[in-house]
Amino acid sequence: MDLGLRGKKAIVTGATKGIGRAIVELFALEGVDIALCSRTQEDVETTVQELRRHNVNVFGQAVNVRDGEAYKAWLQSAASALGGCDIFIPNVSAGGGFDSEKNWTKNFEVDVLHTVRGCETLMPHLEKSSAGSIVIIASTNAVETFGVPQAFNAMKAALITYAKQLAQHVGKKGVRVNSVSPGPIYFEGGSWELIKGTMPKLYDYALRQIPCGRMGTPEEVARIVAFVASPAGSLMAGSNVVADNGFTKRVQF
Amino acid sequence: MDEFWQRSKSPAFTPVPRVRPQDSPHTPVEKAPDPQLDTNVIDQRRYYSREFMQLEWERMWSKVWLLGGREADIPEPGDYIVTEIGPESILIVRQRDGGVRAFYNVCQHRGARLRGCGIGTTGESLTFKCPYHHWEYTLDGGYHRIPDIDTFPQGRPKKGLSEIHCDTWGGFVWYTLNESPQPLLEFLEPLPRHLEPYNMHKMVQTRDITVEWNCNWKTSVDAFNETYHVQGIHPQLLWYLHDLDVQIDCYERHNRYLIPFGTLSPRVRKPPAIPEPIKTIMKSAGMDPADYDRPISQIRRDVQQHKRAHGAAQGKDYSRLNDDQLTDDYHYLIFPNLSLNVHADDFWIFRQRPHAHDPDRMLYDIMTFELVPDGQEWPQRAEHKQWKHGDKSIGLVLDQDAQNLPSVQAGMHSKGFKGLWIGAQELRIRHFHKVLDDYLYGPQGKPPGGL
Repeated sequence: MDLGLRGKKAIVTGATKGIGRAIVELFALEGVDIALCSRTQEDVETTVQELRRHNVNVFGQAVNVRDGEAYKAWLQSAASALGGCDIFIPNVSAGGGFDSEKNWTKNFEVDVLHTVRGCETLMPHLEKSSAGSIVIIASTNAVETFGVPQAFNAMKAALITYAKQLAQHVGKKGVRVNSVSPGPIYFEGGSWELIKGTMPKLYDYALRQIPCGRMGTPEEVARIVAFVASPAGSLMAGSNVVADNGFTKRVQF
Repeated sequence: MDEFWQRSKSPAFTPVPRVRPQDSPHTPVEKAPDPQLDTNVIDQRRYYSREFMQLEWERMWSKVWLLGGREADIPEPGDYIVTEIGPESILIVRQRDGGVRAFYNVCQHRGARLRGCGIGTTGESLTFKCPYHHWEYTLDGGYHRIPDIDTFPQGRPKKGLSEIHCDTWGGFVWYTLNESPQPLLEFLEPLPRHLEPYNMHKMVQTRDITVEWNCNWKTSVDAFNETYHVQGIHPQLLWYLHDLDVQIDCYERHNRYLIPFGTLSPRVRKPPAIPEPIKTIMKSAGMDPADYDRPISQIRRDVQQHKRAHGAAQGKDYSRLNDDQLTDDYHYLIFPNLSLNVHADDFWIFRQRPHAHDPDRMLYDIMTFELVPDGQEWPQRAEHKQWKHGDKSIGLVLDQDAQNLPSVQAGMHSKGFKGLWIGAQELRIRHFHKVLDDYLYGPQGKPPGGL
């Protein structure tokens, strides 16, 4: 199946590690030009070099997405560097945390606002595209309770609702919006490696919830994101795709 | 480099920043010169031989100063502590004049114990009445009353209770069975200067637990004397402390190491979030991990500076501690049997006591103390609890040690085990055994065939 991605231009936030890194790798393999960011310039440079081996245009620059003005400026530079934007994947997250009220501020600003600002800033470019598509990275923590009542879970839920609503709003302009909710995804340097190391009981519990006994990989999430984002997924709009290897137990009618 | 070496070599790391000696006027931080010790195996029979156990008793346990208890537990005349060491039971008593004296806890009549283990008081009587025939002793060990003394044609035994030497330091009572001991402070050298800057007198005891462990007392001492086992037994601590950048200092008979806390081991990858154990350090310092936006590698230093800036306002006097002491673990072994985890806000003592007659068992005492901030009400001290190996949890880290040690002890007995193969990260173990040998064998050293 041809995903129809070749020659498309994608902007992915938080793309030097984990799921984001796997998404840009797959996009590059599919011939997509890429703009990416993370907070660490060194990591950005490394990723840019690695992606250029696939003979695509790659633009990268460090930015803290929490800084609204700097982030919007980065988005504009990214779209200029690529000469437009067909696909936007807001992927940065502040991650879990149950320490104080500050977790709510942080998850709101990073997870929610960076997504909203990204969608709004890039919408003129996406509208111009013949295959404009946004895939918001949410989490299964939004659709089923997990762990503690932390801001991460509720803010990811906000993103799923936002994706659905935005899909209605911009569908007539030819832009599709969907979300992908990964379950536990294990990778070196990722949060589940940290949990496995520091909270082995929680790790074992999560693992037991997965019928096949294996957490997902970033590459597996990337393949689903790539399909949803691609012209091949043209019928999908306003969907939340749960990518969790059976981790969640609800029935989604 | 062959494949084995590639797989096995220790990871490279950037040294953790540490305070300079001139910035630590109270607790010395100079690296002590490493003792020149051999690399021979340590004979495993030292851990289970009954002859060796006896030698330890005669030449070491009955010669050294030992921790008896906490002075604050016996504030009033007649308050006492009964503690045991090997086959002996010791009665430590607060005197009418405020001093402290210690005796063998044994009635001179028929050998009954006067009191059971623990803390207590004579109450208003200010006498110890033996439960067997009611021989009664004054606080200084003299006779108060012997029922029907007229029926003893030989009169009473010459002296009252058999007294032993005791002294106080650091808020603790120490005793020795040695009839002509060196002074306590001399025995503790050079540690009093190291430990006095901590506010031990402002700390309340938060745990007082004794667990009978199925291993030799030295198996336990060894376990706390190296950080090499962190990657094996306590993997979660690799996201909490630096197990390789550890300064080891060996003194005449005691030793220590300084472990950076609040930082990552070079054995783990940089995680995407602050590890929960490090968050605990931040929170106890009054910092909000959710509000922290700097790299994890900066946290240790930032916690130090935060505590330095806000300690006084939190009622915590850190003025005599250096910056590293505000985060790190200064870990001491007070020979022979006290493993100390010393921190700015708490102080843990693990006391390892030999079993009365079984070299394969020991008593493991956990005594933890926490700083009570100025202006806060003094909490009740934790009550003493005692149980057997594995009956109850003593916290994740210590449970991991506790689960491990019986199998280590069993392995010591194996024909297939050829002795302890000790590396440089375990220098304190080698030093500990050398000091033990000094007690057992004196300046002539180990005789041929000696363990």
